[in-house]
Amino acid sequence: MSGESYIRRPNRPLQIYAVVFLILLYVPVMFLPLFSFNDSLYVRFPLEGFTLQWYGELFQRDAVWNALWNSVRVGVVVAVFSTTLGVFAAKAITRYRMPGKGPMVTFIMLPLVVPLIIFGVALLVLLSQLGVALSLYTVAIGHMIVCLPFSIAVLIPRFEGFDASIEEASADLGENAFWTFWRVTLPMVGPGVVASLMLTFTVSFDEFILAFFLSGTEPTLPMYIWGQLRFPQQFPSILALSSIIIFVSFVLVFAGQWINRGALSGSAKGSVS
Amino acid sequence: MDIKDQLGSMRAGEISRRTFTRNLLAAGVGITAAPLATRKAMAAAGDQATFFTWGGYDIPELFVPYKEKNGELPNFSIFGGSEEALTKMRGGFVVDVSHPCNSGLPRWVQSGLFQPIDTSRLSNWGDVMPELVSLPGNDAEEGTVWLAPFDWGQTSITYRTDLFEVEGEESWDMLWDPRYSGRLGSLASGGDAWWCGAIKAGVPMDQIHTDEAFEKIAAVMREQRPLLRTYTDDTTTLEQALASGEMVAAMTWNSSATVLKAEGVPVKFASPKEGALTWVCGLMIHKDAPNIDRAYDVIDSLLSVESGKFMINDYGYGHSNNKSFEQFDAETLSGLGLSDTPSDILGAGHFQVPQTQEWETKMNTVFEEIKAGF
Amino acid sequence: MSDQTLQTRSAPVATQATAGRFGRLMQRSEAARGYALLAPSLIFLGVLILVPFGILLVMSFWTASGFGFDTGFTTANYQKFFERPIYTALLNRSLFISGMVTVFTVLLCYPMAYYVAFHVHRHKMLWIVLMTLPFWTSYLLRVFAWKVVLGYEGVINSALMNMGLIEAPLEFLLYSQQAVIITLAHAWAAFAILPLYVSLEKIDKSLLEAATDLGDGPVRRFFRITLPLSLPGVISASLLIFIPTTGDYITPALLGGPDGAMIGNLIQKQFGPINNWPMGAALSIILMLCIATISLVFILLTLFVRKRVS
Repeated sequence: MSGESYIRRPNRPLQIYAVVFLILLYVPVMFLPLFSFNDSLYVRFPLEGFTLQWYGELFQRDAVWNALWNSVRVGVVVAVFSTTLGVFAAKAITRYRMPGKGPMVTFIMLPLVVPLIIFGVALLVLLSQLGVALSLYTVAIGHMIVCLPFSIAVLIPRFEGFDASIEEASADLGENAFWTFWRVTLPMVGPGVVASLMLTFTVSFDEFILAFFLSGTEPTLPMYIWGQLRFPQQFPSILALSSIIIFVSFVLVFAGQWINRGALSGSAKGSVS
Repeated sequence: MDIKDQLGSMRAGEISRRTFTRNLLAAGVGITAAPLATRKAMAAAGDQATFFTWGGYDIPELFVPYKEKNGELPNFSIFGGSEEALTKMRGGFVVDVSHPCNSGLPRWVQSGLFQPIDTSRLSNWGDVMPELVSLPGNDAEEGTVWLAPFDWGQTSITYRTDLFEVEGEESWDMLWDPRYSGRLGSLASGGDAWWCGAIKAGVPMDQIHTDEAFEKIAAVMREQRPLLRTYTDDTTTLEQALASGEMVAAMTWNSSATVLKAEGVPVKFASPKEGALTWVCGLMIHKDAPNIDRAYDVIDSLLSVESGKFMINDYGYGHSNNKSFEQFDAETLSGLGLSDTPSDILGAGHFQVPQTQEWETKMNTVFEEIKAGF
Repeated sequence: MSDQTLQTRSAPVATQATAGRFGRLMQRSEAARGYALLAPSLIFLGVLILVPFGILLVMSFWTASGFGFDTGFTTANYQKFFERPIYTALLNRSLFISGMVTVFTVLLCYPMAYYVAFHVHRHKMLWIVLMTLPFWTSYLLRVFAWKVVLGYEGVINSALMNMGLIEAPLEFLLYSQQAVIITLAHAWAAFAILPLYVSLEKIDKSLLEAATDLGDGPVRRFFRITLPLSLPGVISASLLIFIPTTGDYITPALLGGPDGAMIGNLIQKQFGPINNWPMGAALSIILMLCIATISLVFILLTLFVRKRVS
């Protein structure tokens, strides 16, 4: 394949657009760290002076850390489980002819049509009828209802996009269904899986309405923040918290890339020799 | 090299599928193990009581006696409004202690979700102001109470002394002043705004349920809507708007004025000539409270003088414990909009008369229509 | 194959036959394999959608009575919807705002997804991560961040005033429908980019090269190949934004002001302060029917256009 195809040529206007897009995406978010160092209770210009006071306060508040931790736990569990279910479902939907597939798909996608608040109330009533105590598990179940269709919606285009005959070839070569899936299907849909994990984690981490109705004594981060809005004294430390989240995600993502590269070059060498 | 590159190199045959699988597996194990690892750390909170309350009350300063006795803070669950809280508990959410206000008291009792409080189990009960205990609907059987009063305050007008020119006496007319159209703000909940509207319309609190009063108040609220910048449920919004000059006057609780003053913003918490709206909030115990002994510890801790000092000094709210006020001199208290004889302030204001659920539904339906411009 | 043999060998003889028969059935019947893969999702959602949905539908024909419900069947809630002007007005406004948000977001995100899919060759994941990183922060805080930008003493106003372009802050920026549209578009951009990117990424590059070889210019090539092939991504991006935003109530509550309220706010109020759950259920059913109709029309229209194009 020649590297000189038009695709390889840089597209200057598009490049500029992409950079501007990223800047606009980040600028509003970046005001959060900016104001977290501002020596005033109020989020407004002009800035009044540099302070680390809000960070100091934050470290003394266990409640903030618990809420953050709760959200991360729910988000990770929801992302992994809904993507796992999503991969199977997306494969079934795209690969196999089944009677009644249309209605089943419509049914699975239904949570996207139902306003979350209704799900929240209805699930709360349902859970209380069943005598299930509210906890982070119920929040995770609620989030999975929302995240599963999201996951499937993202994965379907991916499955539609690759050639089923590769899988058939694998099966013909004697691989059973599991190994065909693990060694052929999954790598092919990998980008979709990653996208699904990211999307479902984001949805769960951000989700407020279901968490509001379904969380027990352990609040998720959006729940905690919502409660704090009534008390402006707490707000700068919430800004400090979100700044830490932004910073930590940056570090984690970059460290992940770096570690992955190290592991890969090592194993690549191993497989060559 | 990222995952995409890894996929690319796998297709190009640079790394074996097995290596790729191994990397993926390692990543997978790492991801799914993470939440499990944290569970141990979270188990420490144990069997403490659960306090279902407004944001801002989930702080160690209010639970010093509780922590001394039980070693840990109680668990907290936060709501944004007391109607939300009741909705959630009616849906089956079980807590130990919750935190409603006087206007909701009869409806909370009626819901059958709460048990009477045995005041003999509260060491601070002797210092609680009697006028706060004798709220309508607060007498359960055999001298017990449903609600242990904790904090009280007013809904009135916070205004910028440098930007708002008061004509004559301070009055609710300030929030209907066309000179400041687009620069006035209001709380969004009918529990505050509708009752302030009643004061403005001259409807006595005990007449608010009549059809005639309904018409009068609705007319007043419709008149006010075009003058308002916005309605909001969170006080932060109002405080920031007042600090920036976006609003010059807004309906707020005591704490907004206290906090703005501490920040050096020239504001005053008005004492309208028609009287302010006065409220009392308190603590109720859930009928199925799983940690009943510690529920009493939560209440006792909140009623303590330590907690009272914090409420008065940092939030500018009144406290139900008489002794809390002894910690402050008259000057400090009047600076906070309070008084060393709290009953004066309580007596001067308009106390909400609890209404039926049907009335609340009707009032909120109409008020939502008015807020939306219909 | 070796794994299969191992498994069969270790299994008791009695189950071997059934396992074999089951295995053969799975091999032979496509449908059975499909159902098996779909079953976990179907069962999970079956329990957690049908039951709550049933409650919702039944409740929409009840009426509120104090704390409880009058469970007599009545269409009063639906009649009320058409009688009082507030309900239809707020519904129309919600659909309008969400429609605007969808159009803006997809239009703005498409070039971005296109750029990453076709013009970024190294560190693609890094780009995707960069595009989604702001969304690790709380939704509430992002809404609040926009309040800072659009606010009375906010970034835009103070910048314009410093440049001498305006003398007093622009008040229409905050507490308006525009504020809601801007904030929602920004908040949901990640949801548009990911499906768009996924569908663009899987386009076979050799098709594009073939088109070039056949003499297609960039514009013609885009409309003949790239756009039709990425339509599934455009559809899912649009629906992923349009549908949840119609039910949103936090953004309008914080940024919309009196004239920016949406139907979601009213539904939330029915379950909160107004405490008229049956009316809230009826409003939700109506909202869902509206969304379903619009989505269906949208999908059919897109498919029709795609057929015409190709």
